[in-house]
Amino acid sequence: MITQRISNLRSRLTEQVHIAPLSLFRVLFGLMMFASVLRFWLKGWITELYVKPQFFFKYYGFEWVEVPNEQGLYFLFALVAISSLFVMLGLFYRISSVAFFLSFTYVELLDKTNYLNHYYFVSIVALLMIFLPAGKYFSLDVRLRLTQKITHVQRWLIVVIQLQLGIVYFFAGLAKLNYDWLINAQPLRIWLQPHTDMPVIGFLMDKIWLAYFFSWFGAVYDLTIPFFLLNKRTRYFAYATVIAFHVLTAILFPIGMFPYVMIVSTLIFFPAQFHLKIIAILRSIFTFFKSGESDEPSVALVFRPTVKKILISLFVIHFIFQVIIPFRFLLYPGNLFWTEQGFRFSWRVMLIEKAGKAFFHVRDPDSNREGEVMMNNYLTPNQEKMMATQPDMILQYARFLEKKYEETGMRDPQITVESYVTLNGKGSRLFINRYVDLTRINDSFTNKWWILPLEEK
Amino acid sequence: MKKKISICLSLVCLSLFFSRCDKKKPEEEASPESSFDKSGMLANIGDNLIIPAYADFNTSADSFQLSANAFISNPSHGSLDVLQSAFTKCYKKYQWISTYEFGPAETEFIRNSMNVFPCDTIEINSKIAAANYDLSTIADIDVKGFPAVDYLLFGHHLNDTAIVSLFSTDANASNRKTYLSTIISEIKNKAGIIYAGWQPNGGNYISVFKNSTGSDVGSSIGLLVNQLCYDLELLKNARIAIPLGKRSLGVPLPEKSEAFYSGISVSLASEHLNSLENVYLGRSKQNVDGLGFDNYLNHIDARYFSGTLDAAIKSKFSAAKSKLSLITGRLSDAVISNPATVDAAYMELQQLVVLLKVDMTSALGVSITYVDNDGD
Repeated sequence: MITQRISNLRSRLTEQVHIAPLSLFRVLFGLMMFASVLRFWLKGWITELYVKPQFFFKYYGFEWVEVPNEQGLYFLFALVAISSLFVMLGLFYRISSVAFFLSFTYVELLDKTNYLNHYYFVSIVALLMIFLPAGKYFSLDVRLRLTQKITHVQRWLIVVIQLQLGIVYFFAGLAKLNYDWLINAQPLRIWLQPHTDMPVIGFLMDKIWLAYFFSWFGAVYDLTIPFFLLNKRTRYFAYATVIAFHVLTAILFPIGMFPYVMIVSTLIFFPAQFHLKIIAILRSIFTFFKSGESDEPSVALVFRPTVKKILISLFVIHFIFQVIIPFRFLLYPGNLFWTEQGFRFSWRVMLIEKAGKAFFHVRDPDSNREGEVMMNNYLTPNQEKMMATQPDMILQYARFLEKKYEETGMRDPQITVESYVTLNGKGSRLFINRYVDLTRINDSFTNKWWILPLEEK
Repeated sequence: MKKKISICLSLVCLSLFFSRCDKKKPEEEASPESSFDKSGMLANIGDNLIIPAYADFNTSADSFQLSANAFISNPSHGSLDVLQSAFTKCYKKYQWISTYEFGPAETEFIRNSMNVFPCDTIEINSKIAAANYDLSTIADIDVKGFPAVDYLLFGHHLNDTAIVSLFSTDANASNRKTYLSTIISEIKNKAGIIYAGWQPNGGNYISVFKNSTGSDVGSSIGLLVNQLCYDLELLKNARIAIPLGKRSLGVPLPEKSEAFYSGISVSLASEHLNSLENVYLGRSKQNVDGLGFDNYLNHIDARYFSGTLDAAIKSKFSAAKSKLSLITGRLSDAVISNPATVDAAYMELQQLVVLLKVDMTSALGVSITYVDNDGD
């Protein structure tokens, strides 16, 4: 029975299918990325988030990432924009997909302040795309005969993207299965009520039943949507739900391009005929791609056995990590949403309402004098806000301040933090042990014992 | 696949079950009957707090300038007295508008052109001696506005006779008069511009203010909450913590206090805190308590531990006010002779910052940032 199932699955995964879903995914992904960068640029965020700050919060292990000067930053973002455009067009796909992954990921590594699951998702997909033959159909590479056209691939090459999307949704759903979300309808109770001035449905926004409905609907949606999208019979209805869900979140929350990226990405669950129809429409508009592709002979992609083996092992390793990483929080004590140990890279999207304010205190042990560090000296309001609720960032900033005070000639500055955080509207309370000298602590993956426990009252 | 569908269905059923269970809890049923009247709150704050504050400020700036003209044309003890008290009055009125740094006030850079302290006395004197200056650049923010007038009219360890002579017999008397007149005129002009900018028959910013009822970045509530928090931090940091020596490892810096020369720092800080409290309460200067953030927080049932957030904020305002009132005499003396009293006020203000900037903004869904940015 089980062996039967496995062999069924194997034959399904190795079945030859049309490459159209993958190549259209490339076009749409490239387009969305180009639009995202353009939007980021036009909103002035390059200057706001990367030129203005004097201090950047680096990721653990990525302290070596340098923030380029203003000119270099614009060059970097231009590279992201151009490479995404090239990915969309399928031009020099091998190089452009690598260039997009590297430039985009480098930007994300510049400052942890700007971490978004959405950006992490983009990096992951960009990485996967490097190894997928997405440029071998409906691309400039094919049109210009830079590469051989491929019409058919084994199904698993498309499943890679579907699986990644499925993981994003499913883990986002799993994360919602917690007391605050399900039983208290928090943080949606907080987040919905400011929207009472919305047209038509605004009057519902401060109704508590609506917060419950959205909480539960969101959890069920995230957990089940990948399966409904996979199933032929439910697919169209599921996709309508995808559109409705993401459009609603786009209206209600400031989450930028993410909803639209998900709306176009999930098209990959549709069968090849659907994508071929869209490609036909696109070809009738962009007639350049028309010639020579009208009646196409089937060409299947054939990997050399070793290449295939390596590729499959890489994907398997990747997905094993994708499944393990969200569970790493189990290794740490305490409330995950409070300590945020193992919080990132786990598809915990729009999950908690957290706000804080940190006052740093410095003490000179030689003179025994102490004072408060006035923050706005080094951090932007956005950085200050993001730091206040995340212990690793608080520690990083404390160590930065230590260096600053050493530069003024203080021999061994002691830095403590008096930080107040409120989680899901529970009321602000001390977050970090007020008396721990943070200059004695090095960041690591070990438990941050200096975070005070969240006491539910 | 059927199995999966049945799992989904059971999840949905479970959800219905739970939501029904939960309805039994009485406090969960406190769903508000109707939405909070945000436009009513904005109308109240705009019509009954902001515009009257600007009107008051404008009127006091008028008499400030008139007294300045009288003093300049005839510097004497008498005219100096009148001018000094007009200055004090106008400076106090300023405390009631300093929160509203958006719309016309933002365009006019009110905080930066009127109240950057401490002022740069060396630069002021060299500008007076040179008699050749343009005070409109960013570098000039600390040689004008109230702090500069404070210095010119009260000096340091100078009695009134000495000050009058600086404007009558001193070699630079004439230049000094021109300088004083220039900076007071700028205060007066800007007071007129921002007042007109809000007036329905002027720039009519009041209608922009009332009609933006969202809570997102750039909406009236977003701006008001952001500026309320920012201004409160200014009070805590610039007016109290820095003179107290919090930024200088406990070494008091009395000369950094607001109105250092006239010594009215504590009463200015009190006026400022009263103004902040009134914005929070939506209470006019005549003590008419209209819709404010207190009502908003109570309407959405914002909690703070076992009580309401509103109660916590109100009690913190009154604690901060009472601690501030315990500082006697000049702040610049108190930070040296009685730092513990000032420190007590500082601590209460810090707690107030936390309640407003963390708890209130979180409950209202207003983000504290001056950059419109994506979330997760």
